[in-house]
Amino acid sequence: MNKYFREITVAAALGLLLLSLAVFAPHFFQFQPFTSRLTSQMPVLVAAIGIALVIMSRQIDISIGSQFSMCAIIAGVTAASGLPLGVSIAAAIGAGALMGALNGVLVAYLGLPSIVVTLATMVTWQEALRLWQQGRLLNLPDGIQWFGLSQPAGQTVVISLAFLLLVGAAFAMKHLSAGRFIYATGSDAEAARLAGIDPKRTTFGVFVLMGALAGLAAVLNLVQSPQVQPNCGDGLELKTIAAAVVGGVAISGGRGTLWGVLLGILLLANVNPALTHFHQPPYWEKAIQGLVILLAVFADGLRSRKAQT
Amino acid sequence: MPDNASPIGLKPILKLTEIRKSFGAVRALKGVSFELLPGEVHALLGENGAGKSTLIKVITGAHQPDGGRLEVAGIEVSHLTPSKARELGIACIYQQPALFPDLSVAENIALRLKKTGVLSRVRWPQQRAHAVELLGQIGAEISPDAEVRSLSMPEQQLVEIACALGSGAKIVIMDEPTASLTQKEQHLLFKVVRDLRASGVGVVYISHRLEEIFALADRVTVLRDGESVGTNAVDTLTESQMIKLMVGREVASIYPPCEGAPGEVVLSLKNLGCAAGAVKGVTLDVRAGEIVGMAGLVGAGRTELARILFGITPADAGEIFLNGEKVMISSPREAIARGIAYVPEDRRRHGVILEIPIAHNMTMAIHPKFFRGSILRFDAESELAANFIRDLGIKAYGPEAPGGSLSGGNQQKVSVARWLATKPKLLILDEPTQGVDVGAKSEIHKIIRSLAKDGLAVLMISSDLPEVLGMSDRIAVMRGGEMTGLIAKEHADAHTVMAAALGTNGKEVA
Amino acid sequence: MSSPKSFSFKSLLARHEAVLVFVILFEVILFQVLGRNFLTERNFSNVFRHSVEIGLLAVAMTPVILTGGIDLSVGSMMGLCAVLFGMMVNALGMDPWVAAALAVACGALGGGINAALITRLNLPPLIVTLGTFSLFRGLAEALTKGAESFSGFPAYFLALGNATVAGLPAQIWVFFAVAAGIWFLVHRTTFGRSFRAIGYAPEGARYAGIPVARNTSLAYVIAGAVAGLAAVILVARLGEARANAGIGYELLAITAVVLGGVSIFGGSGTMFGTILGWIALAILNNGLTRISDYKIMDQTVASVARELSGLLTGLLLLAALAIGASIKTLAVRHARKQPIPTSKPEPATQ
Repeated sequence: MNKYFREITVAAALGLLLLSLAVFAPHFFQFQPFTSRLTSQMPVLVAAIGIALVIMSRQIDISIGSQFSMCAIIAGVTAASGLPLGVSIAAAIGAGALMGALNGVLVAYLGLPSIVVTLATMVTWQEALRLWQQGRLLNLPDGIQWFGLSQPAGQTVVISLAFLLLVGAAFAMKHLSAGRFIYATGSDAEAARLAGIDPKRTTFGVFVLMGALAGLAAVLNLVQSPQVQPNCGDGLELKTIAAAVVGGVAISGGRGTLWGVLLGILLLANVNPALTHFHQPPYWEKAIQGLVILLAVFADGLRSRKAQT
Repeated sequence: MPDNASPIGLKPILKLTEIRKSFGAVRALKGVSFELLPGEVHALLGENGAGKSTLIKVITGAHQPDGGRLEVAGIEVSHLTPSKARELGIACIYQQPALFPDLSVAENIALRLKKTGVLSRVRWPQQRAHAVELLGQIGAEISPDAEVRSLSMPEQQLVEIACALGSGAKIVIMDEPTASLTQKEQHLLFKVVRDLRASGVGVVYISHRLEEIFALADRVTVLRDGESVGTNAVDTLTESQMIKLMVGREVASIYPPCEGAPGEVVLSLKNLGCAAGAVKGVTLDVRAGEIVGMAGLVGAGRTELARILFGITPADAGEIFLNGEKVMISSPREAIARGIAYVPEDRRRHGVILEIPIAHNMTMAIHPKFFRGSILRFDAESELAANFIRDLGIKAYGPEAPGGSLSGGNQQKVSVARWLATKPKLLILDEPTQGVDVGAKSEIHKIIRSLAKDGLAVLMISSDLPEVLGMSDRIAVMRGGEMTGLIAKEHADAHTVMAAALGTNGKEVA
Repeated sequence: MSSPKSFSFKSLLARHEAVLVFVILFEVILFQVLGRNFLTERNFSNVFRHSVEIGLLAVAMTPVILTGGIDLSVGSMMGLCAVLFGMMVNALGMDPWVAAALAVACGALGGGINAALITRLNLPPLIVTLGTFSLFRGLAEALTKGAESFSGFPAYFLALGNATVAGLPAQIWVFFAVAAGIWFLVHRTTFGRSFRAIGYAPEGARYAGIPVARNTSLAYVIAGAVAGLAAVILVARLGEARANAGIGYELLAITAVVLGGVSIFGGSGTMFGTILGWIALAILNNGLTRISDYKIMDQTVASVARELSGLLTGLLLLAALAIGASIKTLAVRHARKQPIPTSKPEPATQ
């Protein structure tokens, strides 16, 4: 079986989807709404890159949504208090990294299972945010939206940033030792230890990176509207994990590509708009998401069963 | 043909002097001296439990010796750790490869061999070329791009060997390297070993296959009961002499004698085989009241046979008859229902559960029968446990004590109790007294004998030669998944059994 | 002959439940002092009336966690069953009790889906239940077209969620029955006992003849069925069946279970512990609300206190995990320590 079988399948599915849209609902491709839609998917892509790394190292992080929301509010509050945009961005990314570090310490150095740790941190950040913001919308000062540029320019910046990050991360995963260490740790942590790769340090690093990326994603999301909602990160963990798993990142760790994650995002994120354009109701989104996760993990299960002869 | 014993005056690259190592009160190494010359293949021979594993772990730094000296290239090393050992040029190839299943062969080799910084660039073409070179040197036909998960066990071992080759180690230890290799792969391995020797590397070669030792090794050191009983040039020894060195001691313990004649045939195997379990053509009868010992070396297929009989890996060839009736056993539950009990070898994973009380451990296999209506009755369970504690002489606080509070020997008795509670007709014991102290060992032997006297058919797998000789009414010997000998008690001695186990004597002595 | 160490091992385990009892007492005293109308019959009745659904989920989740697995889909299962229930009563005009029974059956079916994927295909419970977490909620939303809700249930049905029976809220009796049933299952039957064995030693359990796949499957089916029951009770209490029923409940249930001393790794833990954990959580949530009623306290502080409950829940969970993990390591390390054999030793290791 081809090494990139999954990625090719997903690409084919995406192609099919786009093709049917081109034929039956060509207004899907109208420039303005298409670009806006694409831009709104970029924060999810950035966050998904982070979660893909976590899953590849054989962990999971379901606090990503709360981290995202928290970083968004921190950036918003910093901006609203008059500080320059750069400071807001740094604050968001820094806060994310810190939250990631907390997860990292508990999972990597205390050996606690990541599912429950990130469950706990998820609730903690969510509630802390609720305490702080009381559900209020935060209004952003003028210079923030679209980085102070016009909408088209801002959209270009967001999309380019996200893609640059993707290309950079994909490069790092393939060509830098750091990336290979992540694969190694996820594949067999004990063998990694014996080979001189510190699995604890790698795992910790991945969680910190995840947090920082959540912060960056929050910023990219922030600049797309004049207000910040404190629950902007809701459901993000599901979206990103689904995209990663669909794109070929195996829950058992050690395998998957970031290009697959991109394909997964594009496929899943466009289910809803496609439904709209096919005049189908949008409330099927979650059900389809869930089905897709199950299908993907089922396929993974079959594959590892076959290899287990 | 190996060279003569290496020239006098060559300094050893590895020298151990009077190495002592104990685990608690158990003395694994009682003062072993060993030296390795550069450009030498030095075989390490000994029965299971003689101390080879511990010695290797001392050399690789996994264990710290309690006493003695360790010198590498003439320089004493006091606190050897695994990473330090690697730096000093000591490489060990274990039977369980420590590879990354999801990564390619080339990458596995690169990750093992190179210490790179976090941000350094991966050089894919060079990595691949290096792998091709190393694999070519061994002559292994493995694609460097193959995912390790897709390789067979022997292929994975070859990759390990490539890693060792590439690490530029000066001291290479091979622990039973040919255990799972095919003929062709074995020849590749021999060539590798010879090439290593020619380039000045010292190889410590552990193997039970005497023909390999004669083919490859220059010298051989025999370990017995934690001591070295001699280092000789290989061409000065005969096979017979080697075996004698391995098992030479007198059978010191007294085993409970056999009383009465065996009864009906309980278990009859005809040509039993299982491809996945690598067992073929086993034909054997076990009678009620009889203890059939199963001897053989590690990997000979005895545990695999037990797993077939117990339904863990069902047979796909041959037949099983229980009390004359042909049966197919496809799960442990079925086996238990049919009166087969298996006391497993892997105690940690399959034996007594340490966190659970003894009473629960004991009734675990009989839950459906013992607890009518599936409702637990603790008083009945406690009573059963108390009875076993008394009858088997288990030293425990009480039926409620957790399994982990007992010593190894007593845990084993609990394990036996669990299976006795199923009132089996056939009891398969897999290494019943391994790691058990002498006192408990003797008690377990008495228990086994009295069980046989009560009419149980007993199949006892053991690597403890005196135990096999002392306890068995008949001895079945396995090698490479097949039975190579069925020896009656009168004709059984250490030499015959070991020879059959090593495959140097294929005669069947009825 | 006897090992005095075994005493301390057992009491180590029992200690967790004892600690919880102290925590609960402490909470009660604290909130009685700080709050208003805390230690009243009406308040306590409310505490438990509102927490029965979580309690049910926690109690049903315990066997699953004992086997070393997890079920993230129970909250979403509640949503789906609630919606199905609403549809059956409103759209199909079914008798609410019949519909309730069917809702429970649907829950069992959902649990069966989890079970099949986890035990037959050996897929990791985490991701499977994450998938069904999304799927079940998604189906609920799709069925109600994202907006509909069902109401107008007969009064005798709503009594299940709102009436008082023999001095206690009606649903608490249901909880007692289910909790007692599952307690009995886990602690008094061979079936329930096998969960422990499976959690501690999944392979060893198989070697002992335990039908691991079958028993594990049933644990998930039970979790699903009880989620269905919890959904019915929630609908009865609120008088409304919506797709968002039970959002976040799986997290609270897991928190209660972990707080109760059930190890997330499987094997150790008791039903009593889970129930105590649930009580501690329920009182915490309620008590913080009651603080805000206390006149003397500054209103902002009071409202902060009310908000704190969620945060404290998260922190409590983290603390419980860390403590649980260290207890486990201590217990295992202690249990593996071999006392020196009393007879003459012999080299037995290789």
